[in-house]
Amino acid sequence: MIKLHLPSRASLWCAVALSATVLGFGTATVWAEPDKTQTQTQVHGANGALLPRDSKDAAVFRGGLVYANYCVTCHGINADGNGRAARLHTPRPANLRASDKNDAYIGLIVRKGGEPLGRSTGMPPWAEELTDEQIGDVVAFVRSVNAQSHSR
Amino acid sequence: MKTLNLIALAAVLACGSALASQEHVVAQKDKSFSTKKLDIKVGDKVAFRNDDGFSHNIFSLTDAMPFDLGTYGSGQLKTVTFSKAGKFEIECAIHPDMRMVVNVAP
Repeated sequence: MIKLHLPSRASLWCAVALSATVLGFGTATVWAEPDKTQTQTQVHGANGALLPRDSKDAAVFRGGLVYANYCVTCHGINADGNGRAARLHTPRPANLRASDKNDAYIGLIVRKGGEPLGRSTGMPPWAEELTDEQIGDVVAFVRSVNAQSHSR
Repeated sequence: MKTLNLIALAAVLACGSALASQEHVVAQKDKSFSTKKLDIKVGDKVAFRNDDGFSHNIFSLTDAMPFDLGTYGSGQLKTVTFSKAGKFEIECAIHPDMRMVVNVAP
């Protein structure tokens, strides 16, 4: 069973839709079955089998939920840096689909925010808010939508 | 005499301005704003004070006067002067469930 911090049903289904859309870009299709408490989600593969918690597809799915809740405001539903709050920031939020950064660097930016890395101060540090697993998951999600990853 | 009159006029205007504008404080505690709705007037200031033990990032996308206070930590406050009338929806970029409304009357 995969435990997630889900603040609302709306966020969950927004993320489910987002993940389904984005995962069409990748290699697998997954679907989620929220339980009655709305605090746990089982992630199933295309054949209906429960995905192992430590599988890449499960991480990407969980990362989609994290992304839809915390990142989408600035980076946008398409992860292209065109979220509704993007206009507040100069430079604009990163287009994650076109990013050339590796997983470790993306994880560092998520954890520490942009400023310590000499990047935008608009990117908050998320280490206080997200667990290590959530940060790893959102990095997996970003990797899954990254065009350069798919062109390799 | 003329100079004295100008000084007196400036003092009156300054006092009037000070009396007209007020400063309000909205705290952020337990990932919530201390109030869900605040009614103020144009020219009033609102200090957004972080009483939590972690960072917040207050912003508004209201067309009349969008703003972003950036990320700031525990015990800090940042102040916004609302120079335009309207309904301002205030959010936190780090905690998406944090929302409040500031109604600014002309």
